[in-house]
Amino acid sequence: MPKIPVAKLEPGMKLAKPVTAKNGMVMLGEGTELSETWIERIRDMDIASIFVEGPPVQALPKEEALANLETRFAKVDGKPYMNLIKKITKEHIEGLYE
Amino acid sequence: MSNIDPKVLRHKVENIGTLPTVPGVLKRLSGIIEKPRITLVEISAFISNDPALTTKILKMVNSAIYGFPGRIASVSHATMLLGLNVIKGLLLGVSVFELMQKTMNGLYEHSLACAIASRVIAQKKGLKEPEEISVAGLLHDIGKVILMLEFQTEYEAAMNEAQTKGISIFEAEKNQFNATHANVGSWLAEKWRFPRSLIEVIEFHHRPALAKNAPLETAIVHMADILVRARGFGFAGENYVPEVNPAAFELLKLSAADIKDVLKELEENMESAEDIS
Ligand SMILES: [Fe+2]
Ligand SMILES: [Fe+2]
Repeated sequence: MPKIPVAKLEPGMKLAKPVTAKNGMVMLGEGTELSETWIERIRDMDIASIFVEGPPVQALPKEEALANLETRFAKVDGKPYMNLIKKITKEHIEGLYE
Repeated sequence: MSNIDPKVLRHKVENIGTLPTVPGVLKRLSGIIEKPRITLVEISAFISNDPALTTKILKMVNSAIYGFPGRIASVSHATMLLGLNVIKGLLLGVSVFELMQKTMNGLYEHSLACAIASRVIAQKKGLKEPEEISVAGLLHDIGKVILMLEFQTEYEAAMNEAQTKGISIFEAEKNQFNATHANVGSWLAEKWRFPRSLIEVIEFHHRPALAKNAPLETAIVHMADILVRARGFGFAGENYVPEVNPAAFELLKLSAADIKDVLKELEENMESAEDIS
């Protein structure tokens, strides 16, 4: 269920979560298929992004995500249990790209 | 080096309602929460009278904290199900959300992820009240918000010091304030009459071996904090994963499969939790 910036919405996309006003009122229900009109209304609502249906999109390319992981663990290499935690986390991140 | 006296710092934190930098929402809230005998009904009414607050609380209980999406439809149901301490904690959590975004970009995401990871670990350990641990995860770094609000220049200096020297924000805070966000958070939790276990988790989440009353709860949030940083969700003041306390790791006895499960649940919940605001 990717979160899409309002500027990138396209007709045919389906809402994975309702679009709500600041006070919580539901403006468009979950499952609504977006038309040009609905997209225009959403643009007039002062919302940054909304959830649409579909597989999650990873924000970073895999190589970058793994390089960042290395950086985050740079200070604790060889400390008790940290290599184990790193290994499990690495497998987890790799799994997100399969 | 610091010239801030921790006693003065503590005094400021305990009188948070009178600080000029603290926004109205937190002042109103502290007026409610500090009352010695607030009832479930009063707190439920306070939330229900505010539609925005109601939405935030319901979104929170239906995603990250409770772990059963979509089950709780009303504030009264939520308060009955979760109890006074959890609701009080949630109220504080959602009320400082905007403040967190403003004071340290990414801290809310970090806190939310810790809430989820803490709940999942608590469930794996068979704890009776996983929601209480979840709230502890949500609030564990609240001291950072207070420090940032009241001492922005000094806190930014601490973040810079952490960055340039490659030390943890916890160590850099000690240099700047002679105290840490863990101290500050625990003073606030005490002032707001949170249960002993929550105060202890906040105070010792970076030094879990010192927890006397709630060692398991403290170890859980300590571990959650590390896993969240390992995965790279949010920002908590510096970019490095800190060392896990070996005794805490051994106390938890999580298998590799358990840790994988925590990361998996974190992934699934964070995707939908990000719009809690
Ligand atoms: Fe912390
Ligand atoms: Fe943290």
